[in-house]
Amino acid sequence: MSTQSIGQLLRVGWVVIIALFILTIIEFVAAIGLSGILQLAVLSILAVIKGTLIVQYFMHVGQIRKSITDLWWGILVPSEVEE
Amino acid sequence: MTAHVSNATNKLQELALNRFGLWLFLVSDVSFFVALLSSRFFVYGGATPEEINQYLGLGLTILLLLSSLTAYRAEVGAERNNRTMMNRNLLLTILMGTLFIVGVGFEWKIALSHEVTWPSKPYGTILFTLTGVHATHVVTGLIAFTVVFFKKRKADIGEGNSWAVEGAVKWWHLVDLAWVFIYPTLYLVNS
Repeated sequence: MSTQSIGQLLRVGWVVIIALFILTIIEFVAAIGLSGILQLAVLSILAVIKGTLIVQYFMHVGQIRKSITDLWWGILVPSEVEE
Repeated sequence: MTAHVSNATNKLQELALNRFGLWLFLVSDVSFFVALLSSRFFVYGGATPEEINQYLGLGLTILLLLSSLTAYRAEVGAERNNRTMMNRNLLLTILMGTLFIVGVGFEWKIALSHEVTWPSKPYGTILFTLTGVHATHVVTGLIAFTVVFFKKRKADIGEGNSWAVEGAVKWWHLVDLAWVFIYPTLYLVNS
């Protein structure tokens, strides 16, 4: 999140929420128009896409890699002793 | 003499540890929702009773998605030292979360008025368990946002001082993520 400007971040938020709304409407229509295993497959795929958008852009899942790297450095680099 | 000061106590390490710990917890919580969601198909199969109010389900979904945007904007405001944006969006998120809980209460009222969705019936058991567990997560998120709002509304924010907001917002997105799967499972699937 830290390298983007505030305007870019807010734009990302709007794009993601609009995509989520569109996918929700498609879900709603698919539930009415489809049936059986096809309906289940389409609803599952749409839910996974929506979930991925949330995890990727709202939850910043990419931060985990940086957190793990930082933690490894904390373990590898010897601790300081203060007296 | 001062005790050992490990590198994990510096701000970067602390933030990394906080994030890693929260993510571990979120993943374990996701497994709980996955188990509940799969139980719906074992208990009741792929059918959905006609008594389920589709428009209420759609409305609740749109409300929760919208609250995710305001939560995201609160996080951006906190990290970029924009107090007005943070405070306004935290309050909006609390408001929408509260409306969501009211909506779930309304859903329960409707469910109790039809025999097929009573808590003692198979579909009712699934409905009340899933929405009940999810609503509990929503309520804890609302408590977290309220605490964060009063703690941070005048305190230091900006990069390095926004973990409280970030943590609460991540929790809220988990609540949203869970609902993204609960909504089609409870309301839409009919095969």
